[in-house]
Amino acid sequence: MKKIFLLPLLLFLTGCNITVLDPKSDTASEQAFLIEFSFWIMMFVVVTVFILFTYFVIKYRYTETRKHDLPQDVKGNIKLEITWITIPVLLLIVLAVPTLAITYDQSPQWTEESDQSGVVIDVVGKQFNWTFTHANGTEEMDKLLIPEGESIVLNLKSADVIHSFWVPQLGGKVDVIPGKELTYEINNPKKGTYQGKCAEYCGLGHTDMTFEVKVVSKQAYEQYLQK
Amino acid sequence: MKLSMFGSEYSIPTDIVAAWVSVIVIGLVATYFVVKKRKLYVIWDYMKTTNHRKIGILYLLFGILYFFRAGIDALLIRTQLAIPNNDFWVFQGEKYNELFTTHGTLMIFFVAMPLLLGLMNIAVPLQIGARDLAFPFLNALGFWLFFAGSVFFNLAFFIDMTPEVGWTGYAPLSRAAFTPGAGTEFYVFGLQVSGLGTIFTALNLIVTIVRHRAPGMLYTRMPLFAWASLITSFLILIAFTVLAIALYLLMFDRLFGTGFFSGDEGDPVFWQHLFWIFGHPEVYILALPAFGIFSDIISTFSKKRVFGYGTMVASIGLIGFLGFMVWVHHMFTVGLGPVVNTFFAITTMAIAVPTGIKVFNWLFTMRGGVIHFTTPMLFALGFIPSFVIGGVTGVMLSLSAADFQFHDTHFVVAHFHYVIIASTILGVFAGLYYWYPKITGYILDEKLGKWHFWTFLIGYHVTFFPMHITGLEGMPRRVYTYSETDGIFLLNALSTVGAFLMGISMLFVIWNVYKTHKMKVKVSHDPWNGRTLEWTVPSPAPVHTFEPMPVIQSIDAYWYAKLAGHVLPTTTDVRIKPLERDSIQPFCIAMSLLIVSTGLTFRWYWLAITGGVALFAMLVLRSFTDEREDFYGKGDEHA
Amino acid sequence: MHKQEAALFQDKKVGFFIYLGVETIMFAVLFATYMIFTPAANGPYPSEVFQSKMVMLSSFFLLSSSGTLMVAERGVRERKKNKTLLGLRLTLVLAIVFLGVEVYEFYSFVQEGYGLSTSVFLSSFYVLVGLHAAHVAFGIGWMIVLFIQFRRTKVSASLYEEKQTIFSYYWHFVDGIWVFIILLVYLPYIT
Ligand code: HEA
Ligand code: HEA
Ligand SMILES: [Cu+2]
Repeated sequence: MKKIFLLPLLLFLTGCNITVLDPKSDTASEQAFLIEFSFWIMMFVVVTVFILFTYFVIKYRYTETRKHDLPQDVKGNIKLEITWITIPVLLLIVLAVPTLAITYDQSPQWTEESDQSGVVIDVVGKQFNWTFTHANGTEEMDKLLIPEGESIVLNLKSADVIHSFWVPQLGGKVDVIPGKELTYEINNPKKGTYQGKCAEYCGLGHTDMTFEVKVVSKQAYEQYLQK
Repeated sequence: MKLSMFGSEYSIPTDIVAAWVSVIVIGLVATYFVVKKRKLYVIWDYMKTTNHRKIGILYLLFGILYFFRAGIDALLIRTQLAIPNNDFWVFQGEKYNELFTTHGTLMIFFVAMPLLLGLMNIAVPLQIGARDLAFPFLNALGFWLFFAGSVFFNLAFFIDMTPEVGWTGYAPLSRAAFTPGAGTEFYVFGLQVSGLGTIFTALNLIVTIVRHRAPGMLYTRMPLFAWASLITSFLILIAFTVLAIALYLLMFDRLFGTGFFSGDEGDPVFWQHLFWIFGHPEVYILALPAFGIFSDIISTFSKKRVFGYGTMVASIGLIGFLGFMVWVHHMFTVGLGPVVNTFFAITTMAIAVPTGIKVFNWLFTMRGGVIHFTTPMLFALGFIPSFVIGGVTGVMLSLSAADFQFHDTHFVVAHFHYVIIASTILGVFAGLYYWYPKITGYILDEKLGKWHFWTFLIGYHVTFFPMHITGLEGMPRRVYTYSETDGIFLLNALSTVGAFLMGISMLFVIWNVYKTHKMKVKVSHDPWNGRTLEWTVPSPAPVHTFEPMPVIQSIDAYWYAKLAGHVLPTTTDVRIKPLERDSIQPFCIAMSLLIVSTGLTFRWYWLAITGGVALFAMLVLRSFTDEREDFYGKGDEHA
Repeated sequence: MHKQEAALFQDKKVGFFIYLGVETIMFAVLFATYMIFTPAANGPYPSEVFQSKMVMLSSFFLLSSSGTLMVAERGVRERKKNKTLLGLRLTLVLAIVFLGVEVYEFYSFVQEGYGLSTSVFLSSFYVLVGLHAAHVAFGIGWMIVLFIQFRRTKVSASLYEEKQTIFSYYWHFVDGIWVFIILLVYLPYIT
């Protein structure tokens, strides 16, 4: 059991080739930072508990020699209890600060209230495919081309049930909800081809509701729009 | 499979054929044994019983039965996911969707809930010195409603109408426009009927704990399992009522054309709010009783009283309270805006504090004790580190911006199996081994118990640990396959191996029960050298307990009495035990609700009305056969 | 009522109050639903639908039924048969009239084309007020059962008192919900 636990540690140390922790945009980088940062704090908690646990279980286990031991009747200890209230509170405060900052920055918003500056693209999710419409009306299904280095503003709509737009390496999910239009921003994507998928269970063909995202140079994007 | 009958062709999926065959075979075998051993009267006896221990046994039996069924679903899920682009049996697309829906719904509502309610039913009255639950008739009704709901939900599969909306039933997918078949109705009515039973049982437990404690059993002397049950019952009352209304509205949407949860006039997100206002407290409903069980077990087998009793109770209360303020953490991605997201991120994180108090208090209960590694204790020990792993991933999920990545991936699947299995499932196992003598009069074999523990624990970590990584690799949940290029084959294969190891470990349980009941070695009333009142009554607990009634003067009173070498003082000045009389009426009431549900599901309104009439007739009958009639107005000679 | 009976009665009271707590939550969620969806973007505006006369009429009947029920409660406590019966009978009549008005109200709404699925506002109106009406109907059935229990010799006076007391809690509760229906459902839209 303990050995398995070392597995992710090793993976983290050997330069993270886990998809989500290999971000290709500023948006995803901030999220990956938060994940790794919290991971280390959590490691601290887990290790503390494991050490105490192992120590107590071994030290106070029943043995033949302790057959007639009668443990002392301890009721509690206010000082100790205050310690393990205070330390977690402090840890959580440390965690809360970057969480607040990044959440404020990244939370999806209603389209009416959002700032539409950047490369605006309309996204429509429908059982079971995605349609992407660019500013000049260019439309393509299940394939999204975006320019690198820009701020990409996605306006997401659903034609039927709830879907969720997700490109792990470019950013987190945004739900695509019938009757509401949400806006999500992906900042500064880097060149490459990425997998996108629908992350909210949407019925029969949910598994196959995938798409491809290509981040290309600005010129290539212009050309694509001209086509 | 194709079948031609009466000149027309039917095609029946092979998994359903397999289900029918296995149920018929098992049914025949069971009937054969019942008839041969002349045990029919036992079944009849249990159908009429209102005794808390027997009802508890019924809860446990069905909980375990459904655990096997939902576990087999889990094994099918894991087999389909074992290798990339797998084509296992029929479980791609629709059938896979049905599979995880059934698995999740069964496990939460028809496995975890009855197992916990069963243990509460058995142990709580014994722990607090009550002679039964306050309302025995209502207790039986609660069970049979649960039974009716669960049977109804399970029937769907046999007629190939399994719901496929996930256990969360998100709208608008769950509206008739997108799932037109009757499947979702089975979800709606199955949960509605069984949920009603759960509410009744919770109410019953509250009245019992508030009003039927033994003399001197102050709130400050109550065992922690009783405390946890009390607070859990309050959570149930609130959470399940909200669920009931959510289902009520969904029923109107599906049956009568309203648009509460539709995209164009109503609001699909409203369903999510209602569902999670229920759903999040629900996860603490699953966890808190288990915390209570572990507290009692850790204290018993460390030979030490619980460390920091006061803060333990306070933290159960605080977890329960905070549990109602965090539901939006399941909805970070629906776009409720940064303010809402951060507010709920912070309340969610706050729950780590009271939970942490409990973890450290458990650890310090063991410190300085003499730890006996009995099977129940092993499960309690397995729980602590496993739960902490699951808990800290929960805290990671609560960081709203990070959750944009985690949400709806296998990372979440890993989180909740870690916490649920560590708390609820290990807790129930611990409780079963611990109270088995009180339930049946026999003690389970320790050696097989240890085999069960180790194989289960190892299997559990092997199954769910890799899911953290597959989730971060970008594997969404509720998908039936993935491709080779996703780089998650080995991890998934490992998960599958673990799942089968868990399956094997359950075979030890079957063997153990079989062996124990064959050996028939009776145990004494106090096989574990226990601390609380349940160990003062004979094993198995008789129908008439606590005569004479003990008087409680401290926490763990029985233990300290044993240490001092005397018996608990008793009194004859006690309140009356709850009136009880065997009755088949609870069963019939539940069955009439089953008829109503069937009628509504298939839009056979005449049947629904018939069921409704039957239901009211049963209620009137109940009013005229009240067991209080024989007692009231006769002076105090009954006392 | 002797000690042991009192203890059992107290159990039942506590249990029933908890049950009323459950009912409160149920109605609270439905009130919330109503407030979220009313007024709806499409379909009629509530004030086009509601008729203040009808509401006043039905309120008068239902709210006064709480008063007549109190007479019955006093009758039971004082062990005065006639008082009890009078109070109960009046309550029953008022309840039936209320239900009649309510059914008529629904009926006239539907006649005007304001059905259950016309708009989300109407849907949430019907599921809330309809559930309340169902409670009244159930209460009427309960009262009829009480009349029969009253005459049964096997039911001792103390047991009858218990049964009627529990019923009166239910009935006052249902009345209380109606007050909230007036305040939250009708009043904001009646001019
Ligand atoms: C028994 C059930 C159970 C329990 C106890 C928990 C406990 C917690 N859960 Fe979990 N959860 C579920 C069952 C449970 N959960 C289920 C079923 C789902 C998914 C439903 C679905 O979508 O299908 C879910 C989903 C879920 C989500 C949504 C994920 C998503 O869908 O995107 C989140 C997000 O915040 C979350 C958070 C938490 C937190 C913070 C806790 C905390 O209570 C954990 C607290 C415990 C600890 C933290 C460990 C001990 C503490 C210490 C040792 C002290 C020091 C610690 C620190 C300073 C960190 N859970
Ligand atoms: C109490 C809650 C609970 C429990 C105990 C479990 C237990 C298990 N779960 Fe469960 N699971 C959920 C609650 C639970 N789950 C929920 C709520 C969901 C979400 C559903 C949704 O998305 O809607 C889910 C989803 C879920 C998924 C994700 C599916 C997906 O999203 O695509 C997976 C995948 O591996 C999984 C696996 C398992 C496994 C392997 C077990 C194992 O622990 C099971 C162990 C038990 C056994 C293996 C049975 C043993 C019996 C036998 C082997 C019988 C032998 C038979 C004979 C001899 C005849 N579960
Ligand atoms: Cu939650």
